[in-house]
Formats: sequence, structure tokens, C-alpha cells
Amino acid sequence: MDGVHAVTIDAPRPVHAATPSFAAVAEELLDDVYGYLLYLTKNRAVAEDLTGETFEAAFKKWRRFDPGRGTPRAWLLAIARSTALDWFRADARRRKREERAEAAGRRDESSSFGEGFSPELAESLRSLSAGEREVVALRIVLDLDGEEAARLLGISPTAVSTRLSRALSKLEERMRDHDVVA
Amino acid sequence: MTSSPELIHELRASRPSAPAELRARVREIEAEQPARARWASWRFPVRRGMLVAVPAAATLAFASAGVLGLARSDVAPQTYRQNALGKATAESAPLTGSGGVVPAPSRTQGSALDQSTDRAQRVSATLTVEVSDSDAVSRAAQDALDLTRSLGGYVVSSSVSTGEEGSASLTVRVPVTKVQEAITGLSGLGRIVSQQVTIDDLQETLDQLEKREATVRSQIARIRARLESETLDPQTEAVLRARVQTLRSELTELRTGISSTEAEARMSTIQLAVVTPGAFGAVAPPSRIDRTIDEALNVLAWEGVVALGLLIVLAPFAFVAFAAWLGRRLYRRREEERLLAT
Repeated sequence: MDGVHAVTIDAPRPVHAATPSFAAVAEELLDDVYGYLLYLTKNRAVAEDLTGETFEAAFKKWRRFDPGRGTPRAWLLAIARSTALDWFRADARRRKREERAEAAGRRDESSSFGEGFSPELAESLRSLSAGEREVVALRIVLDLDGEEAARLLGISPTAVSTRLSRALSKLEERMRDHDVVA
Repeated sequence: MTSSPELIHELRASRPSAPAELRARVREIEAEQPARARWASWRFPVRRGMLVAVPAAATLAFASAGVLGLARSDVAPQTYRQNALGKATAESAPLTGSGGVVPAPSRTQGSALDQSTDRAQRVSATLTVEVSDSDAVSRAAQDALDLTRSLGGYVVSSSVSTGEEGSASLTVRVPVTKVQEAITGLSGLGRIVSQQVTIDDLQETLDQLEKREATVRSQIARIRARLESETLDPQTEAVLRARVQTLRSELTELRTGISSTEAEARMSTIQLAVVTPGAFGAVAPPSRIDRTIDEALNVLAWEGVVALGLLIVLAPFAFVAFAAWLGRRLYRRREEERLLAT
């Protein structure tokens, strides 16, 4: 954080020793998965769809989940990330098609974080890249520790820290701009 | 103005909650999905499988080496002793002559000695027999001497040492016509360890000697006739008489040579070594455990060779697969970064 952002990270949640039931895990972690996907896609409708897809995929793979190798949350977020990346790929292809048909621009109109976000925060979050929103969601909103987030993103903990610091600086700057305008 | 702690607080305060509809939909997933058979969702656990397969393969390799080593150690002693003793006797009993060496591992000579030929041949045999102990060495040596004499032969040299590791070394000569019988008899003194028969052809040498003898005789006859029939001057007569003298000396040498060669062709030389199992330090047979370990190590070495061969064959494929996997991973990583940069 370079001393700029005093981010307080809670201790990671305890790892379940035995495999809990899928229903209990889904109930407990639904908000986390949804929040993560909402930050990643900045679109409530898309986040809802992807959350549903994530839990369907997770249910199919549930027998293979090994509590010894990670928490259910990390496992679910990994599935959510894979689902989201598939969506991003499909979205990129769709945008290319739209650009060819000169129909670009509709995507931004459909962006919405939904309720709970102040207009300034939602606007500022929209200005971040998906990767920056993702690290904010994982480290700040979902309280994943650096190691866990790094494992999920496939990068080093230092890279996670750097990316978070940059995202927060950017977000802070945007929020400051809104304050000045207000 | 918004500071970072405030921003973080706001971010956490605005933590999204899943809509009730979504929550209901997720709750229904478990009920909607058809019950999957346990085997349908089963996948081979590669990492766990490797954790079991690698030690299992190693155990199997060692176990098979141990079993094969144990099985082979049953037949090993004879081979060990035969090889070691054979080497030792070959070193200690040099062959005579320069002719062909005929190893004769069997107890009987078979076709190694062709007694039907009329050619003059020098026959030499080297024989090593193993007897049980030092007393048996003395008995065997005596039996060998008796056999030699009974076949019309004689002893050239004899050396018998007794003690913990007794041994005997005998050189005997027997008529060539009896050599087959002699070797068979000597082989029966103990367990045959090594046996070699050397045959040198002497006929050519003998022919040359006889031809030269005839020539010398003829020259002597001609000179004598000349001395008797012609009237020669004293100087010529003296020269011819000196020549006859020289030819007579040569003739004598030739006769000696012919006799010696014929004698050599009449009698064969047999070198006999009688040993006890402990006579050669190096040939003490290894214990069953040692043999088992040796054989097991041999099997392991072969398994290693096979494994190495497979590794060499499969390594290029594994390398290509690894490179493809790495390339795909790098590509996906960059693609993800590109997608998430928007």
C-alpha cells in the first residue's frame, strides 16, 4: 500500500475441515460471489446471470471439491472468475460484431451497479478497468488475504498489492473529482 | 474530499447483496439438477494417483528384482565357481605349443582328438579337476600317476602340497594313442573345472627333415662314388672328403631331429592340476544372500536401462506437451489481462 492507503484486512476465515453441504455453502457465499461478479462486470444483470452459472457449475463439480486444498470461497470464486472470463471473451466477440455493424455503445448504457452504491462511487468504479475492480472486490469487499487473492488471480501477492494500490488511488482520485464538482 | 479509509469504509458499506430472486434461483439449483450417479462425476485423481503410482512402481521394481534375484541365486553357485576357477587355471597353466587350442568342456574328448590321422602331431592337454579336500588331492595325484604308468606313460614332473588348501600339479606323458583314455581317466579323478587340448601339426617338419636326409644321403653317395671311381688330385680329394664329413654330421643331426620329432608325436603331454574348492581365494562361492543381492542388482540395472530407454523415447513428446501447455497458459494469461484491462 506504500503507506498511502491504510487498508485494514480482516483475518481470513477459518478453513472448513470437513466438506460442508452445497446448500450451506451456496447460502453463505452467494453474496460474495455475486459481489465479486458485479465488481468485475459492473453490470447487475450480467452479474446475476454469471452468479447463477457459477453455482450451477459449482454444483456439478461439488463432489470434486477438496476442503484440504482451499476454502469453499476460494474455490467458488475461481469458478466465478472462469465463468466471468468466458463472458468477457463472448462479450469481446459480440462487441466486435457490433462495431462492424456500427452498433457499438449500447454496452455502456447497460452498465449499472444497482442499489447500495452512491452515484459517485458507482461512477468512479465504472471508470476502473475490470482487473482493477476485481482486485478491489477481492481484497476490500470480500476481505480475501493477499495470498488467497494472488492464487485466485494467478499473480504474485506483490502484484496484487500493487494493483490494489493503483486501483484505490484511481478510485480516490475519481471520488475527489466528484467532490470538487459537487 | 474522500480519503482512503473513508473510501474503503464506503466500499465495504456498499457491499452488494444478491437479490432475492437470485438467491431463490441458486437454492433451486440442487433440486433442479438430476441426481448424478457417483461414477458419472468421478474423475481419476491425477495427483493422488501419482502419489500412489510412483511408490507402487518403485516397490514393484524392487520386489520383482528381489524375487528374481532370489530365484536366480539357486542356479548361480555352479556358474560362479566354474567361471572363477576357469579363469584362475587358465592363468596358472599356460598352454604349450603354438597350434590350435581345443577347449573340451565335456568329460569325454569326443572329436577333439582325431586319432585316426596318420600325420605326426604334438598333442598337449591341460586339465584341472577339483576334489573335495586335501586328502583327496593326494589320492587323486597317486591315481593319476598309476593311470599314467598303466597306459605306458611316464611322469615328467610332480608336485603335491597338502594342508588346508591342498593342490597338486603333475606333468605326464602318455602315448598319443592313449591320450583319449588318459584324459578320460584323469577327468574322473574329480569334478572337472577346465580342460584344454592343444594339437600342433609336426608332419610338415618331419617331411622336411626326411627330405633333407634323403638329399644328404644322396650327396654322400655321389661323393663316395666319385672318390672310388675317379683318380683325383690330392687337393680335390681332400675337399670331397671334408664335404662328406660335413654331410655325415648333418645327417646325424637330421636323424636326431627326426627321431625327436617322431618321439614327440608318439607321446602326448598332459598337465594336470588337482585343486580343492578353497585353493583359489577368489573363487570361494558367494553366499546365498550375496548372490541374491547381486542378481537383484542386475535386475534393477536392467529395469533402470528399460526406464531410461522409455524416458529417452518419451522425453521429446513430454517436452512438446509441456511447451504446448506453457504456451497455452501464457496465451490465456495475456488474454485475461487484455480482457480485464477494459
